[in-house]
Amino acid sequence: MTHRKTVTWLWLVLIILTLSGSLLGERAEPGYFLIFFVTLSMAFKGRMVVDHFMELKNSHPLLRNLMQAYFYVLPLITIISYILSTARL
Amino acid sequence: MWAGILCEMTEFAVLFAVYFVARYFFPQEFRAGPGQLSLLAGTLNTVWMITGSYFVVNAVIAIRENRAAASVVFLYLVFISAAAYMLTKYLEYKWNIANGVTVKNSAFFTVYYYLTLTHVVHVFWGMLGLVWIIFRTHGGAYSATYHEGMESFASYWHATDTVWLIIFPLLYLLR
Repeated sequence: MTHRKTVTWLWLVLIILTLSGSLLGERAEPGYFLIFFVTLSMAFKGRMVVDHFMELKNSHPLLRNLMQAYFYVLPLITIISYILSTARL
Repeated sequence: MWAGILCEMTEFAVLFAVYFVARYFFPQEFRAGPGQLSLLAGTLNTVWMITGSYFVVNAVIAIRENRAAASVVFLYLVFISAAAYMLTKYLEYKWNIANGVTVKNSAFFTVYYYLTLTHVVHVFWGMLGLVWIIFRTHGGAYSATYHEGMESFASYWHATDTVWLIIFPLLYLLR
Protein backbone atom coordinates (compact mmCIF):
# COMPACT_ATOMS: atom_id res chain seq x y z
CA MET A 1 0.00 0.00 0.00
CA THR A 2 1.36 3.45 -0.90
CA HIS A 3 1.93 6.05 1.78
CA ARG A 4 -0.90 8.16 0.33
CA LYS A 5 -3.36 5.25 0.62
CA THR A 6 -2.16 4.40 4.14
CA VAL A 7 -2.73 7.94 5.41
CA THR A 8 -6.12 8.14 3.67
CA TRP A 9 -7.31 4.96 5.39
CA LEU A 10 -5.84 6.17 8.64
CA TRP A 11 -7.65 9.52 8.35
CA LEU A 12 -10.91 7.61 7.90
CA VAL A 13 -10.22 5.39 10.94
CA LEU A 14 -9.33 8.43 13.08
CA ILE A 15 -12.55 10.21 12.09
CA ILE A 16 -14.66 7.10 12.81
CA LEU A 17 -12.98 6.67 16.22
CA THR A 18 -13.58 10.35 17.01
CA LEU A 19 -17.27 10.19 16.11
CA SER A 20 -17.68 6.88 18.01
CA GLY A 21 -16.04 8.43 21.07
CA SER A 22 -18.37 11.43 20.89
CA LEU A 23 -21.41 9.18 20.54
CA LEU A 24 -20.29 7.16 23.57
CA GLY A 25 -19.51 10.33 25.51
CA GLU A 26 -23.04 11.57 24.79
CA ARG A 27 -24.96 8.32 25.38
CA ALA A 28 -22.96 6.10 27.74
CA GLU A 29 -23.16 6.36 31.50
CA PRO A 30 -19.91 7.43 33.18
CA GLY A 31 -17.95 4.33 34.10
CA TYR A 32 -15.05 2.03 33.35
CA PHE A 33 -16.23 1.04 29.85
CA LEU A 34 -16.21 4.69 28.79
CA ILE A 35 -12.83 5.39 30.36
CA PHE A 36 -11.19 2.34 28.74
CA PHE A 37 -12.64 3.06 25.29
CA VAL A 38 -11.66 6.72 25.48
CA THR A 39 -8.10 6.12 26.71
CA LEU A 40 -7.43 3.24 24.29
CA SER A 41 -8.73 5.40 21.47
CA MET A 42 -6.53 8.31 22.66
CA ALA A 43 -3.45 6.05 22.74
CA PHE A 44 -4.16 4.50 19.33
CA LYS A 45 -4.92 7.81 17.58
CA GLY A 46 -1.84 9.53 18.99
CA ARG A 47 0.49 6.67 18.07
CA MET A 48 -0.90 6.46 14.54
CA VAL A 49 -0.39 10.21 14.00
CA VAL A 50 3.18 9.93 15.34
CA ASP A 51 4.05 6.90 13.17
CA HIS A 52 2.28 7.69 9.90
CA PHE A 53 1.45 11.41 9.75
CA MET A 54 4.68 12.58 11.42
CA GLU A 55 6.45 9.67 9.68
CA LEU A 56 8.49 8.77 12.76
CA LYS A 57 8.00 5.02 12.32
CA ASN A 58 11.34 4.62 10.55
CA SER A 59 12.92 7.76 11.93
CA HIS A 60 15.38 8.41 14.76
CA PRO A 61 14.41 6.03 17.62
CA LEU A 62 14.88 8.71 20.31
CA LEU A 63 12.34 11.06 18.71
CA ARG A 64 9.91 8.24 18.00
CA ASN A 65 10.20 6.80 21.50
CA LEU A 66 9.73 10.22 23.13
CA MET A 67 6.61 10.94 21.08
CA GLN A 68 5.24 7.40 21.48
CA ALA A 69 5.85 7.52 25.24
CA TYR A 70 3.43 10.45 25.43
CA PHE A 71 0.68 8.11 24.26
CA TYR A 72 1.54 5.32 26.67
CA VAL A 73 2.07 7.46 29.76
CA LEU A 74 -0.82 9.95 29.44
CA PRO A 75 -3.58 7.35 28.84
CA LEU A 76 -2.25 5.38 31.82
CA ILE A 77 -2.24 8.46 34.07
CA THR A 78 -5.73 9.31 32.77
CA ILE A 79 -7.04 5.92 33.94
CA ILE A 80 -5.30 6.19 37.33
CA SER A 81 -6.54 9.74 37.85
CA TYR A 82 -10.08 8.71 36.88
CA ILE A 83 -10.07 5.79 39.32
CA LEU A 84 -8.65 7.92 42.16
CA SER A 85 -11.05 10.82 41.59
CA THR A 86 -14.07 8.48 41.24
CA ALA A 87 -13.14 6.90 44.59
CA ARG A 88 -13.43 10.37 46.19
CA LEU A 89 -16.97 11.00 44.91
CA MET B 1 12.30 22.44 14.97
CA TRP B 2 12.37 19.32 17.16
CA ALA B 3 13.61 21.35 20.14
CA GLY B 4 10.53 23.57 19.69
CA ILE B 5 8.19 20.59 19.34
CA LEU B 6 9.57 18.89 22.47
CA CYS B 7 9.19 22.20 24.37
CA GLU B 8 5.57 22.37 23.21
CA MET B 9 4.93 18.78 24.31
CA THR B 10 6.57 19.49 27.69
CA GLU B 11 4.49 22.64 28.17
CA PHE B 12 1.29 20.66 27.58
CA ALA B 13 2.53 17.80 29.79
CA VAL B 14 2.69 20.32 32.66
CA LEU B 15 -0.85 21.51 31.88
CA PHE B 16 -2.07 17.90 31.78
CA ALA B 17 -0.44 17.35 35.18
CA VAL B 18 -2.48 20.31 36.46
CA TYR B 19 -5.61 18.64 35.03
CA PHE B 20 -4.87 15.33 36.81
CA VAL B 21 -4.15 16.99 40.16
CA ALA B 22 -7.26 19.21 39.91
CA ARG B 23 -9.37 16.19 38.95
CA TYR B 24 -8.22 14.39 42.10
CA PHE B 25 -9.07 17.34 44.40
CA PHE B 26 -12.34 18.37 42.70
CA PRO B 27 -13.94 15.10 41.51
CA GLN B 28 -17.53 16.46 41.54
CA GLU B 29 -16.62 19.44 39.38
CA PHE B 30 -14.80 17.24 36.86
CA ARG B 31 -17.73 14.79 36.77
CA ALA B 32 -20.23 17.60 36.06
CA GLY B 33 -18.07 19.87 33.87
CA PRO B 34 -18.00 18.08 30.48
CA GLY B 35 -21.82 17.94 30.38
CA GLN B 36 -21.92 21.74 30.32
CA LEU B 37 -19.60 22.01 27.31
CA SER B 38 -20.59 21.73 23.65
CA LEU B 39 -19.61 18.19 22.63
CA LEU B 40 -20.43 19.13 19.03
CA ALA B 41 -17.82 21.91 19.10
CA GLY B 42 -15.21 19.57 20.63
CA THR B 43 -15.95 16.89 18.05
CA LEU B 44 -15.80 19.36 15.15
CA ASN B 45 -12.47 20.71 16.40
CA THR B 46 -11.09 17.17 16.49
CA VAL B 47 -12.29 16.57 12.93
CA TRP B 48 -10.66 19.86 11.76
CA MET B 49 -7.35 19.00 13.44
CA ILE B 50 -7.19 15.43 12.09
CA THR B 51 -8.25 16.57 8.61
CA GLY B 52 -5.72 19.42 8.65
CA SER B 53 -2.99 16.92 9.55
CA TYR B 54 -4.13 14.67 6.70
CA PHE B 55 -3.84 17.55 4.21
CA VAL B 56 -0.37 18.42 5.56
CA VAL B 57 0.82 14.84 4.87
CA ASN B 58 -0.56 15.10 1.34
CA ALA B 59 1.19 18.45 0.79
CA VAL B 60 4.50 16.83 1.77
CA ILE B 61 3.85 13.77 -0.42
CA ALA B 62 3.03 16.06 -3.39
CA ILE B 63 6.21 18.14 -3.04
CA ARG B 64 8.29 14.95 -2.84
CA GLU B 65 6.79 14.05 -6.22
CA ASN B 66 7.76 17.53 -7.46
CA ARG B 67 4.09 18.54 -7.79
CA ALA B 68 4.35 22.00 -6.26
CA ALA B 69 0.93 23.16 -7.56
CA ALA B 70 -0.80 20.18 -5.90
CA SER B 71 1.18 20.79 -2.73
CA VAL B 72 -0.03 24.41 -2.60
CA VAL B 73 -3.66 23.24 -2.99
CA PHE B 74 -3.22 20.89 -0.01
CA LEU B 75 -1.62 23.70 2.01
CA TYR B 76 -4.64 25.92 1.31
CA LEU B 77 -6.85 23.06 2.51
CA VAL B 78 -4.79 22.95 5.72
CA PHE B 79 -5.42 26.68 6.12
CA ILE B 80 -9.17 26.18 5.63
CA SER B 81 -9.16 23.41 8.27
CA ALA B 82 -7.25 25.65 10.67
CA ALA B 83 -9.63 28.57 10.01
CA ALA B 84 -12.59 26.23 10.63
CA TYR B 85 -10.97 25.20 13.92
CA MET B 86 -10.60 28.86 14.93
CA LEU B 87 -14.18 29.70 13.93
CA THR B 88 -15.54 26.68 15.85
CA LYS B 89 -13.52 27.68 18.92
CA TYR B 90 -14.81 31.27 18.69
CA LEU B 91 -18.43 30.09 18.43
CA GLU B 92 -17.86 27.62 21.28
CA TYR B 93 -16.54 30.34 23.62
CA LYS B 94 -19.41 32.63 22.58
CA TRP B 95 -21.88 29.80 23.31
CA ASN B 96 -20.15 29.18 26.66
CA ILE B 97 -20.45 32.83 27.72
CA ALA B 98 -24.11 32.96 26.64
CA ASN B 99 -24.74 29.89 28.83
CA GLY B 100 -22.83 31.23 31.82
CA VAL B 101 -19.85 28.90 31.38
CA THR B 102 -16.93 31.05 32.50
CA VAL B 103 -13.46 30.50 33.88
CA LYS B 104 -14.64 31.26 37.43
CA ASN B 105 -17.40 28.62 37.52
CA SER B 106 -15.24 25.78 38.87
CA ALA B 107 -11.76 24.25 38.81
CA PHE B 108 -12.82 22.22 35.76
CA PHE B 109 -13.57 25.33 33.72
CA THR B 110 -10.37 27.04 34.86
CA VAL B 111 -8.42 24.05 33.50
CA TYR B 112 -10.66 23.92 30.39
CA TYR B 113 -9.98 27.55 29.43
CA TYR B 114 -6.30 27.28 30.32
CA LEU B 115 -5.76 24.17 28.17
CA THR B 116 -7.93 25.15 25.20
CA LEU B 117 -6.72 28.78 24.98
CA THR B 118 -3.10 27.60 25.10
CA HIS B 119 -3.90 25.19 22.26
CA VAL B 120 -5.57 27.98 20.27
CA VAL B 121 -2.35 30.02 20.61
CA HIS B 122 -0.31 27.08 19.28
CA VAL B 123 -2.66 26.64 16.32
CA PHE B 124 -2.33 30.39 15.64
CA TRP B 125 1.50 30.10 15.57
CA GLY B 126 1.07 27.16 13.20
CA MET B 127 -1.16 29.24 10.92
CA LEU B 128 1.49 31.97 10.75
CA GLY B 129 4.06 29.32 9.79
CA LEU B 130 1.63 27.88 7.28
CA VAL B 131 1.22 31.25 5.52
CA TRP B 132 5.01 31.43 5.19
CA ILE B 133 5.20 27.87 3.81
CA ILE B 134 2.42 28.62 1.27
CA PHE B 135 4.29 31.78 0.24
CA ARG B 136 7.56 29.82 -0.17
CA THR B 137 5.92 26.96 -2.08
CA HIS B 138 4.20 29.46 -4.42
CA GLY B 139 7.58 31.03 -5.04
CA GLY B 140 9.11 27.69 -6.04
CA ALA B 141 11.38 27.45 -2.98
CA TYR B 142 10.61 23.76 -2.43
CA SER B 143 11.20 20.80 -4.72
CA ALA B 144 11.44 17.01 -4.59
CA THR B 145 15.03 17.30 -3.33
CA TYR B 146 14.67 20.33 -1.04
CA HIS B 147 11.66 20.67 1.23
CA GLU B 148 12.98 20.58 4.79
CA GLY B 149 11.10 23.76 5.67
CA MET B 150 7.77 22.20 4.74
CA GLU B 151 8.60 19.01 6.66
CA SER B 152 9.48 21.07 9.75
CA PHE B 153 6.14 22.87 9.57
CA ALA B 154 4.38 19.51 9.06
CA SER B 155 5.99 18.08 12.21
CA TYR B 156 4.89 21.11 14.25
CA TRP B 157 1.35 20.86 12.91
CA HIS B 158 1.11 17.14 13.71
CA ALA B 159 2.43 17.74 17.23
CA THR B 160 -0.29 20.36 17.77
CA ASP B 161 -2.80 17.82 16.44
CA THR B 162 -1.60 15.10 18.85
CA VAL B 163 -2.02 17.50 21.80
CA TRP B 164 -5.65 18.12 20.81
CA LEU B 165 -6.19 14.33 20.60
CA ILE B 166 -5.51 14.29 24.36
CA ILE B 167 -7.35 17.50 25.26
CA PHE B 168 -10.58 16.38 23.56
CA PRO B 169 -11.27 13.23 25.60
CA LEU B 170 -10.02 14.75 28.86
CA LEU B 171 -12.31 17.78 28.69
CA TYR B 172 -15.31 16.69 26.61
CA LEU B 173 -15.73 12.93 27.09
CA LEU B 174 -14.54 11.83 30.54
CA ARG B 175 -17.29 12.31 33.10
